[in-house]
Amino acid sequence: MSAQTLEFVVGAEKNLRELLLDSDVLPLLKGALQAGAGGARVVDEEGEELWGETDGGGRGELLARLPLYLEGEPVARLELFGSPAERDRLVPLASLLGVALDTVLRNNLKRVLTTEIHTSVVNSSHEELMRINSELAAGEARYRELAENLELRVKERSAELKRAQALMLQQEKMAAVGQLAAGVAHEINNPLGFITSNLHTLQKYAARCCAMLQFYREHVRVDPPARLVENAELKWRELKLPQVLSDIGDLMAESLAGAERVSRIVADLKGFSHVDEAGEVEVDLNQELERTLGVLSHQISGRAEVVKELQPLPPVNCQGQLPGQIFLNLIQNALTHAGAAPRITLSSCFDGERIRIGIADNGPGVPAGLRGQIFEPFFTTLPVGSGTGMGLAVVWEAVLKLKGTIAVADAPGGGADFIITIPAAKEGDRHLAEPVPKE
Amino acid sequence: MIEYSEKEGRMVLKLVYYGPALSGKTTNLLQLHDLLTRQGRGELMVLDTSGDRTIYFDLLPFFLTAPSGLKIKVKVYTVPGQVCHDATRKAVLQRADGVAFIADSNPSESHSNFASFDNLERNLALVGLDIETLPLVIQFNKRDLPQAVPEREIRATWDPTGVPVVLASALNGEGVADTFALLAGLVYDRIDARYALTGQHGLSRDRFVRQLTSLKEEP
Repeated sequence: MSAQTLEFVVGAEKNLRELLLDSDVLPLLKGALQAGAGGARVVDEEGEELWGETDGGGRGELLARLPLYLEGEPVARLELFGSPAERDRLVPLASLLGVALDTVLRNNLKRVLTTEIHTSVVNSSHEELMRINSELAAGEARYRELAENLELRVKERSAELKRAQALMLQQEKMAAVGQLAAGVAHEINNPLGFITSNLHTLQKYAARCCAMLQFYREHVRVDPPARLVENAELKWRELKLPQVLSDIGDLMAESLAGAERVSRIVADLKGFSHVDEAGEVEVDLNQELERTLGVLSHQISGRAEVVKELQPLPPVNCQGQLPGQIFLNLIQNALTHAGAAPRITLSSCFDGERIRIGIADNGPGVPAGLRGQIFEPFFTTLPVGSGTGMGLAVVWEAVLKLKGTIAVADAPGGGADFIITIPAAKEGDRHLAEPVPKE
Repeated sequence: MIEYSEKEGRMVLKLVYYGPALSGKTTNLLQLHDLLTRQGRGELMVLDTSGDRTIYFDLLPFFLTAPSGLKIKVKVYTVPGQVCHDATRKAVLQRADGVAFIADSNPSESHSNFASFDNLERNLALVGLDIETLPLVIQFNKRDLPQAVPEREIRATWDPTGVPVVLASALNGEGVADTFALLAGLVYDRIDARYALTGQHGLSRDRFVRQLTSLKEEP
């Protein structure tokens, strides 16, 4: 128990003074005097007077002595004094007084014990209630603070999530660019390889030509012309110059073709990435599709079949790299999911208001239950570690920037068909673009 | 122990009858009051009750004097068994020297027995008493009930714990004095060494128990 509460133990011993008050005892003793006793008193076990009343005319002889019990233990004595002549009347009076004191004492003890236990129970209940109350108050304060800050917290968290998502999208774009760069490097490397090898050969051939010319120079000086012709013929054959001369033309042509290929790839890449353009430009989506196929050619050629059903489209005003991002991710997605022999069908059409682009594959398709989720960031059906789940999120974001919509449907004959719908440029500046020239 | 004064030659011990509601704690005290001799025991004090149910406690004091003159008062208390009076039980249990747990033999009360014993363990810990060392006796009361839990089951449960069990029928006075004597003996064992009851006060265990539990002569 704390310092503020009463300290006691149920059953602790009490003395008579604690249990009987003057106002309990004295009226009884006075009553005895009025009834004719000369004196009446209560003394403790040591004979010390605790309460006493004596008549003005002297107390007389001790006529009766009765023990007083507390919890069954004699703790004091009641003594009654008076005239011996009154003994017959006063002794019964003493008994009566004893019974009265005993009754008062017993009842007071009960009251004290009851009060003690009651106080103890109330105190401990109160302490318990105070404890619960302070816990509740603390809990309430916590909840109030939580409620007050909830909106703010939600806003903070939402902003955090948005930042994280934007970061992820950015990283995904970078990853796509990196993938692309690797593919393009491979593409450029092949022609570069044979260009280098051809040039080495040409170097050797050129050395032989030089040797031949040197030979002529020396022999023209010392030999007669008749012999020179014969020896020159021999040397010509020895150096296998006829084959060399016929090969040089091929080598040159091949090298030129390779160099042209490299420049075409670079041009594709530049066009695809729109690195030279800032802000919005007019783009032809068919051309963007072709460019995307161009930069993915190393993944497609010899492995996948591409069917093109493209119709002339009006130009679209947008940031130049957005269509490339959309098509690159969707075509790569189709290549990833379409299995061993992918067939990708690219279609485009214009209904007078909207441009509709379809990218369909012959893969397993997207189950209806997942169609609401596939454009969410981090959603992937690939094993952990294989996909980031961000590809289609990038597409979604890019389509949104084009003020368009994207949906997935079942392709005819199975597979997924991603359909992008984009509003055409405003009435005033709308015109049909020329069909994309084939390169 | 409530009180010990070497100077005054006085010692007050406290025994508590614990147990579930209506298991017969007050009946035990009433029977002790009736069975034991007037000499050496005080009046049974039954505090106010509510519908004949104990709400505070009952108290029966006993007195004995050792050959050395040491006065020993043993106060036996009951607690209210009803669950709601837990604070009262805790208050009464403070500084107890021994506990008699009065269990109900009626099988339908098994759960109440366990709950009450659990409550005893918790409250003892709360008032700073160690159930492992505190003198403790279990009384299975109401053996007169026809459906009473078989003794075999009781023994199987309690014998492994080492807590002594007394079978009783308090309403008929059976086992009541035995329970009290057993508990008094355990309390003596606990305090003998510390207060030199045998050595200094010449009070043997047998004499202590006998003085507390001397039965009335048959008339």
